[in-house]
Amino acid sequence: MNVRYSYLSQQFGQIDELLEQIRAFVKTGDFTLGAELTRFESSFARLIGAEHAIGVGSGTDALKLPLKALGVGHGDEVITTANTFIATAGAINEVGARPVFVDCGPDFCMDVSQVERAITKATKAIMPVHFTGYMTDMPRLQAIAERHGLPLVEDACQAILADIGGKRAGTYGVAGGFSLHPLKNLNVWGDGGVIVTNDGAFADKLRLLRNHGLKNRDEIACFGYNSRLDTLQAVVGNWLIGSAESITQGRIERAAYYDQQLGAIPQLRLPPRYADRRTVFHLYMVHAQERDALQQHCLSRGIECKVHYPIPLYRQEGLRHLGYRQGDFPVADAQAANVLSFPCDQHLSREEQDFVIETVREFYGAAR
Amino acid sequence: MVGPSASAVAAPIEARPALSEAPRQVPYVALGQQFAAESAPLLARLEQTLASGQWVAGPEVAELESKLSERLGARACVAVGSGTDALILSLRALGIGPGDEVITAPNSFIATASAIVHAGATPVFVDVLPDQNMDPARVEAAISPRTRAILPVHLSGRAARMPELLELAARHDLRVIEDAAQAIDARLNGRAAGTFGDLGCFSCHPLKNLNAAGDAGFILSNDEALAQRLRRLRSNGLVDRETALEWGVVSRLDSLQAAVLLERLPLLDAVTQARRRNAHAYRRLLADVPQVFAPPCRDEEHNVFHTFVIQVDRRDELQAFLLKRGIGTAIHYKIPIHLQPAARALGYGRGSFPVAERQAERILSLPVHQFLSLPDVEHVAINIREFFS
Repeated sequence: MNVRYSYLSQQFGQIDELLEQIRAFVKTGDFTLGAELTRFESSFARLIGAEHAIGVGSGTDALKLPLKALGVGHGDEVITTANTFIATAGAINEVGARPVFVDCGPDFCMDVSQVERAITKATKAIMPVHFTGYMTDMPRLQAIAERHGLPLVEDACQAILADIGGKRAGTYGVAGGFSLHPLKNLNVWGDGGVIVTNDGAFADKLRLLRNHGLKNRDEIACFGYNSRLDTLQAVVGNWLIGSAESITQGRIERAAYYDQQLGAIPQLRLPPRYADRRTVFHLYMVHAQERDALQQHCLSRGIECKVHYPIPLYRQEGLRHLGYRQGDFPVADAQAANVLSFPCDQHLSREEQDFVIETVREFYGAAR
Repeated sequence: MVGPSASAVAAPIEARPALSEAPRQVPYVALGQQFAAESAPLLARLEQTLASGQWVAGPEVAELESKLSERLGARACVAVGSGTDALILSLRALGIGPGDEVITAPNSFIATASAIVHAGATPVFVDVLPDQNMDPARVEAAISPRTRAILPVHLSGRAARMPELLELAARHDLRVIEDAAQAIDARLNGRAAGTFGDLGCFSCHPLKNLNAAGDAGFILSNDEALAQRLRRLRSNGLVDRETALEWGVVSRLDSLQAAVLLERLPLLDAVTQARRRNAHAYRRLLADVPQVFAPPCRDEEHNVFHTFVIQVDRRDELQAFLLKRGIGTAIHYKIPIHLQPAARALGYGRGSFPVAERQAERILSLPVHQFLSLPDVEHVAINIREFFS
């Protein structure tokens, strides 16, 4: 049996209705900042529970533009987490600022207790990452940010519909950035992103920044970017957004089944599970003994399991000039050495999950 | 798969007969018409791309890149998210950043200058020729010890004065990045705009001659190492799934948009021909109206007429007059970049670039798209004549 990581062909297997909508859409010629985008933005804002949503070109840009709108730039520092996808730090670097890392906690998110000592005079913002679909400890981080007068921009790219006590990822900070990349929980047919905010003036600024700074066709208020969510992708988003809750629920149910089965294998360790936080399992990640051998074993059986990420961000070649050294972030290092992600999407069947579980058991049985 | 026939693109002359009772409408853009003419094969191709599930960096992107580089005559092509990003990434790939100056034209779309600003460098403007392209004679005076590159714009689909600019660049050891966003397949002595300098930047925005169904762009290069660098810059600096060799951005052309462009690339010749035909008809029909200046095409130029721009006094009146007659026109661009609020910190003011400033008050873009019929063009010309008579 093959257990594939990407489920896109299944997700979009029955799309006649969507193709009809696309057909109708392309005839309008309304391709840039069109009506379907506006509709998607208001649905997205409603879904997250935010006042405003602004569709942009990618999740990376959904992080970059809020920093730009806050005026973060050269000589400034932005605190983020040591193990995330490159784009988080990339967005900080893009505006000319310097990413300052803090180590992760057991839930892969920023260890909030270490933030305060990373704050310097140059710190201009904090960018927590709700990594793998876990929520960062936002109430605690918010208190720290308030104490130091620092704005929070949430990297919620992997955490759509995650929440703490019902308050959703993306609504704690001045802005939250989401990704609609094909492999994300709510996905479109190419790169795409959304920023949510409750601040109307901030939303206006973001709308300027995504569209060349154009106040109207002829007048430019500020130098901006070209980072608009294609209206075509918004048509896809509109078609899918009604399923966001069931997609999330599907992932949570599959994770719970894995937990029950994989949690009983002594060589695997599950990260903490929280009663008061909703984790949305963009990735289902466990700690595994003999991780590389287990991954090879699974791959050889047709199970596409992955490592997010084998090299922690702070040790990447492209970031060497930041001056960090191996060992600076021991938790991120340890996680990079032993985490493994199994397919956990809403299209995964119970049979496929059982096959994954059996294969892992078999590996450790043979190794014993 | 059968593509739409070229005749579906180059509108037949009798496409829209003018009925005396229904006044003729001449819209400035006709995207809806374009899709109506090609929706069946286009949608079929999109379905194919969707079924593959490879929506980012799929085979369509590589196929498009190789077709574009072959057609335009460059060694490599790197598809990116937009024409703006093509410029930003090109500047970065050449190592242009804070403290550097880049010489460009003040009468382009804002993205030309904002790309320079976003790379961390400073745009330095020079005035333009009567045909709206950068005046090479003014470049030398703008060169300072900080100048790193010249960024000419092939405005309206007319190639800039590349031999003169290349000569200047060679003499001063400057890089050349071409803004060919409006000039796909424009030629100068047979050589494509965008292949003269170090890098050539193109846009496939919905309003461009070769257009996607959303934002899209690409970069041409004859330097494989530069192309490699651009490939990682567009994808977070990643050289493989795990390794970020340097800082990058996310600016990939969606596979879906690449599929749209692949479907349309074979029609580009017909699109260009129809636009050229319309432009020449305007020229012929307006030749004896002394109030209308349409910059002539030089023999060595093969212009693709992304826009057909005339220069007239009483421009705003003429625009309003034409609009009342159902004729859509546009102005590219009403406020020169150096006079935009965003550019205040650059220190220019009114009078800095008199030619560009005067043109900004006089330019008017007439509809020139491939779905115009010759009677449409005649209708526009007749109304312009009437206005000035």
